[in-house]
Amino acid sequence: MVELERRGIPTVIFTAEAFVHDARRSAQSFGLAGLPLAVVPAPLTNRRPEDVHRMAAEAFEQVVAGLTRPVEAGADVGRPAEEERLTYDGPDLLEAWSRMNRDFLARGWSDGFPLVAPTGRAVEAMLRGTARDPGEVIATLEPGFGLATVEKLAINAVMAGGGPEHLPLLVAAVRCLAEPKMYLRNKAMSTGPHAPLVLVNGPRGRAANLNAGMCALGPGAPSASNTLLGRAVRLTMMNVGHTYVGVSDMDTIGSPLKYSLACAENEAQSPWEPYHVTRGHAREASTVTVHFVYGICELHDFRSTRPEDLIQVFATAATNVAQVGTALWLIGRRADPRYKTEEREHNTLFVCPEHAQIFAGEGWDRARIQQALYKAARLPFRTLMLNKEPKALQAAHPELGWLADHPDLPLPVVEAPDCFEIAVVGGAAGRGAYFYGAGEPVTMPVED
Amino acid sequence: MASLEVLSPVANVVEQSVKPAPRPRDLGHATIGLYWNMKAGGDAALDRTEQLLRERFPGARFKRYTGSVGWLMRHCTAEDADRIAAEVNAVVGTTND
Repeated sequence: MVELERRGIPTVIFTAEAFVHDARRSAQSFGLAGLPLAVVPAPLTNRRPEDVHRMAAEAFEQVVAGLTRPVEAGADVGRPAEEERLTYDGPDLLEAWSRMNRDFLARGWSDGFPLVAPTGRAVEAMLRGTARDPGEVIATLEPGFGLATVEKLAINAVMAGGGPEHLPLLVAAVRCLAEPKMYLRNKAMSTGPHAPLVLVNGPRGRAANLNAGMCALGPGAPSASNTLLGRAVRLTMMNVGHTYVGVSDMDTIGSPLKYSLACAENEAQSPWEPYHVTRGHAREASTVTVHFVYGICELHDFRSTRPEDLIQVFATAATNVAQVGTALWLIGRRADPRYKTEEREHNTLFVCPEHAQIFAGEGWDRARIQQALYKAARLPFRTLMLNKEPKALQAAHPELGWLADHPDLPLPVVEAPDCFEIAVVGGAAGRGAYFYGAGEPVTMPVED
Repeated sequence: MASLEVLSPVANVVEQSVKPAPRPRDLGHATIGLYWNMKAGGDAALDRTEQLLRERFPGARFKRYTGSVGWLMRHCTAEDADRIAAEVNAVVGTTND
């Protein structure tokens, strides 16, 4: 709508009351905070047409006013604080630190857990983890178009509890987030529980003591480094990208995965080449991959000894229509029109070493697993369309109109076999993990 | 007394600025675009809005649009925006929740 205003066309958009702040913040970030809204009391989704008609009628005068009355620029919504240094006093340092935590929480700068104080000395120590200049801008992070300077990343890494060894990993993760193909704006602001799954490959992950084995996704001491890295990514999304809950992150339920979700690949116990090699990087390189995911499902199987049987079990996780990405290819691709990018919906499998050995023992590589899963994970067309807009199918794939006459035809849940990402992670038992992905992963090298 | 000085974690932002479009006094002879991003319910809201606009502004004409790219939400490309801007005088959209 802002793009139409830019072209001289007056606009007004329907917005549910709960999303007004979000809409204003979004319009502001695109340069027009006063964009006219026709506010309805609730979202238009999941309602009978007659109920939507009534809501639209009640908002009609707002529509007319929005198109015919002069528009004011609009007040700033939740602008960031301008002070670069803040001081907290108390009878002792513990109380001063508690006051800092309460204030950061009130300002929306905290994930809810106590934060390490980002003192000048702590940030200076963090910056020793990189050769980059503190003022270097790594990226501009959406949705708020925040300038991700090395110093701001270091501050957020300190707050997360990280050390200098985490800073280059965080820089690489931020470069992943900022890649146009990532369409961060969509994932940060959505009503869905998009969580950045951070997977590290190579020696820099080992140097940072990232856990790739037992309980790699935490909690506990073995995964402390993982937890801190994932937390640093989340705090960076908040304070650098301005992804704030209730303001620019409208997640309906939320997810514990959004606090922290990071680990390394268990390269030592993988029978295959490291994951980052499959993504075009040299074996000796260190990389960070970020894949936004909605949720996680266990891949439990203690009985199977043949690859074909494991695939059947894995396919049951993949055929979950309640997950938004399942067969989303039927109604198009995640697309950011500003950058002309399109993403296919990928899902990430963490195959445990036990299962990986079963596959490898029969000569199966990743590509064969992908192919087998692509063939096995299918559902009838009518089931896949249960929660999808039929008109979106027509718009995305007019050539598939004939499917309406074949509702029981089984169709794949992903667009292509390589939409299954496979990494080896975990300890010694037949339990992996299936992550329902949102779009495609992005991998970046770790640099000093 | 103890004092703790810390650095702000909040990044400065790249400011954007767009001038709002001038508004017509009425829509009596306007061509009005109705833009649906294909989120459920948005089409029904636009149906009712069109009906009410026709009653209020009998001389108005209407054109329907959706974005040419996307999935759950269909987005407007720059080319779509150029085309819509060339064809209508105002736009009502259902692009939010």
